[in-house]
Amino acid sequence: MTESHADFAVLGSTPLARLLAGILAAVHGKRVVFVGESQASYRLPRGIDLSVSAVTRPETWALLGRGVPETTKLLTRVGGRRAWSRVDPVMFSEAPAGRVALAHVRHMAQAFGHAAERARNQNTGRDREGLILRDAVLLHRPMLETVLDKWLGRLAVRRVGDGDILTLHADGSGHVLAGDERIVIRQTVLADDAAVLAHLDKSSWPGLLHQRIRSTISIEPTAPIAAPVMLGLDNGIALVQQAGKGLSAMGPGAMDPLASALGQLLGTEGAFRQAGQSSYQALVTADGAPAVGRVGGNGPDVLAGLGPSAAFLAPAIARWLCGVAEPAESAWFGARLVDRQFDASPVAEFGGAQ
Amino acid sequence: MKGQSSRFDAGAGGQPRGSALDRTRPLKFSLDGRVVSGFVGDTVLTALLASGIDTVGLREGSPLALSSRHAPTIRPVASDDRQALAMERTPATNGAEYVTPARKTAGNPLLRLFPPAGRSLNIDLDRLDALARPWLGAPAEPGPAADMLVVGGGVAGLSSALAAATRGLRVVLVDASAHLGGRTRLFGTQEGEESPGEVIARLTDEVAEQDAITVLLGAEVFAVRSGIARLHHVTTVEGVVSGRVVDIRARHIVLATGALERLPVFPGNRLPGVVGALEAFELAQLFDIWPGGSTLVATSSSPAYRLAMLARDANIAVSRVVDSRAVPQSRFIEFAKAYGITLAPGTIVAAASPAARGRGLVVLPQMSINGFTRAEPEIGTDRLIACGGWQPDLTLWHMANGESIWNSTLGLLEPHGSLPDIALAGSAAGWLSRSACLSSGGEAVDMLLGRQQRPVEERLIDPVYETPDAVTPVGNPPEDNTPPAYLDGGRRYVTRPAEQVSSWPGWLPFAPRPQGWSLADTPQALDIGDIAAGVQLGAIPPASAGIVAQERVANVPINAAPGATRNDVAGPLPLPPAWLAGRYPGASLRIVVPEDEARTLDPGTLIFSDADQSDALLAIGVIVRIVDDRAVALVRGTEGQVASAREGGRSIDIRLASSLGPEHGA
Repeated sequence: MTESHADFAVLGSTPLARLLAGILAAVHGKRVVFVGESQASYRLPRGIDLSVSAVTRPETWALLGRGVPETTKLLTRVGGRRAWSRVDPVMFSEAPAGRVALAHVRHMAQAFGHAAERARNQNTGRDREGLILRDAVLLHRPMLETVLDKWLGRLAVRRVGDGDILTLHADGSGHVLAGDERIVIRQTVLADDAAVLAHLDKSSWPGLLHQRIRSTISIEPTAPIAAPVMLGLDNGIALVQQAGKGLSAMGPGAMDPLASALGQLLGTEGAFRQAGQSSYQALVTADGAPAVGRVGGNGPDVLAGLGPSAAFLAPAIARWLCGVAEPAESAWFGARLVDRQFDASPVAEFGGAQ
Repeated sequence: MKGQSSRFDAGAGGQPRGSALDRTRPLKFSLDGRVVSGFVGDTVLTALLASGIDTVGLREGSPLALSSRHAPTIRPVASDDRQALAMERTPATNGAEYVTPARKTAGNPLLRLFPPAGRSLNIDLDRLDALARPWLGAPAEPGPAADMLVVGGGVAGLSSALAAATRGLRVVLVDASAHLGGRTRLFGTQEGEESPGEVIARLTDEVAEQDAITVLLGAEVFAVRSGIARLHHVTTVEGVVSGRVVDIRARHIVLATGALERLPVFPGNRLPGVVGALEAFELAQLFDIWPGGSTLVATSSSPAYRLAMLARDANIAVSRVVDSRAVPQSRFIEFAKAYGITLAPGTIVAAASPAARGRGLVVLPQMSINGFTRAEPEIGTDRLIACGGWQPDLTLWHMANGESIWNSTLGLLEPHGSLPDIALAGSAAGWLSRSACLSSGGEAVDMLLGRQQRPVEERLIDPVYETPDAVTPVGNPPEDNTPPAYLDGGRRYVTRPAEQVSSWPGWLPFAPRPQGWSLADTPQALDIGDIAAGVQLGAIPPASAGIVAQERVANVPINAAPGATRNDVAGPLPLPPAWLAGRYPGASLRIVVPEDEARTLDPGTLIFSDADQSDALLAIGVIVRIVDDRAVALVRGTEGQVASAREGGRSIDIRLASSLGPEHGA
């Protein structure tokens, strides 16, 4: 049996996981193993990838301020220019707490140079407060996945196949048995919710992370909604309308309650037709803020709670994992470690589990 | 039979005798102002088909056939969507007046002054709501009480209902058609078995004698969860047809939903004139309908030969039976040879197109054996019966969260695992022979009741004598000038991507690249036939077929109490909110006042130590909220201190005023 070594194994199927694996290999010269399925072209999405979200912390806006152009340049360079587009998403709320948060998000976005403006009532529906953020970047997962998979192939990122056996250890290391080859992994990165849920040992489960049922409902073409992307702060529902007017809705809860909430939201109770639906376990953090870093200080690296903008943090995450992050980046990650105390959390965001 | 150009002349030497029809009672009704003739026993759909109306409308410029799986909704004149009906389940009644509410294709405005004519309903199928079924979103009323609901009135459903009633349960048995018995008639009889007609008659008589069994015909179940099913029921009371949505709650549910016929994938596979073997058989057997004078049969399954013989019995020319299997063997094939029908094994339909004149089709056969292909001469025909084999109908099973896996050998999805209160029976469970389907009905009931089960025995003829079905044939990819190749024949319109034709070699950097095929972005549900075809065409990996089928089934919410919203916490809002914790170390909650008292301050406005500052990372505070018309800020500083608030790029001089007190600690 031959033996080879990898610096990182990145587990996950999201754009963040793929981008991270590629950047570690391409920019930082690391030997990387990638463990993730390519299913965006036929499975329902479980999330969206948007360069803006309901973030209230200035340091996060600052981090995204660098990450978004860095990521889009990278995507363009690797042949993925058609895998992202500019959109004007709308965030909205009707609950008092959400309205206040929305106002804070608007000012914070403006402070970081984003064109952010209040949405009119006809855009969001009566009694709802809305916020339009201009020129955000939306990634198109099915197209992006194809591009990134080819890129990972060109970078010689080793992909763990169906017949290969992956073993992870509590100290974050692991190995892959692929035929007569054994690949020793120095550090594992659990880069999306499914990877964390599948591979993180329950005995070392961080109190910060909570499991929740989420659902995705795909809706047959319907009347145009106010914006191609809409994010509801009150209920955590994200709506994405495709060019053909089909709608994908993602949000917390089981399928039928989500469908009911969607009916209320769209004002079409019972009148829309589902083109698909799926329920799955997802992770939320107690304080609504991202959770990163090694579980227990020496276990696998976890990336959770990063929200819709996760993919745009990939360059910074890669630098941090390789120990070459800038001071502001190190401070950001250091304040959001997965083992942090989360009572009166100094990094809390709107929408935490507690 | 005036006006019924596709109706058989019963008893004129042909076998079909329209067992559903009462030919002594002709009737007429109107649809969109067009008068349609039929007989008592017809549905609105069969009366239309008998009258030569075989086209729903145009989609992307190409006509699509009218069938039991692809029929528009109708409603009585001067009614609304609440009275919508499924034409395939609506009995034709004398004097009824219906309209199709779907948008029609634009035509000559003058022609709209006259009643519509021709073979098409002229529905604009480019609109994705063209075949909408309004009852899917309608509120439901409670249905009859039941301990067990059996969905499907074929032999497996009938035996399930009887087994459950025998065990003391109250049973509701539902079927979408107007008749019990299902589709077993097409599949003939094995040696020593009762004939299909005898089995159906025996079981339906036994069901009729059981007071514990309530039968609902014309009832299509469109959603199932554990303990509940929702259906649309068409009934006729005193000659008036109406529909209602009903919830049936039952602790146990048996899904005996049978098998769907797969549509072979080739350009033109849904043109008017193309029909499945099962539908053609039922139209002939029950309603004496057989359009046209010539027929070509293309199959990968032996029962289609039985249909060919039926056609010959009715003096209809069957030009040929093409079979995708290289060396098919079957008792039906031997009979077909004896009938003198030309057989072409190892042949598939590569493409079909409308004939230059008239209603016919031009079919392009293609020899296809072990990778060798050769185009055969085109064949002109009035009708193409295209049978792509059988797929267990797991639609409701998937809706109830049941799992399935892809069987690569058979090229179909088969059920996997179990559900606590829901069981499959008959062909839906994967059984093939009638004897197995019959015994699987009782076995499903015993499984749900936790009783001792007897193993179901599949009784199949040796493959040497009865060649198993081949996987569904796949013909040529569509091109720009051919009709689309659909993946399935239902209400979805998922097509195989057209092949890009280029004069440039593919290795050139500027040669057109094949388009990616993303079923994830397809804004319509996928029927199980779409999924199976998607696997065959490489768009869905076989290992993921089951989960994709579950995800993309056209589900309808039943248990739909909305969840609580995430942040609509009752009572006063926390001040400051948790997401401001630690943002400004050493800050406290203070009232802040603009120096210009006419100005107002917004929540979220950042506060800086002086007007020259604008870097959010250097802010000393933020306006948290407006309380009693006063701006409350979380800010570092002392009472009376002057600072600057930045709003929309402009600075506003402000003064820090009184603290809110220790109960509002930051």
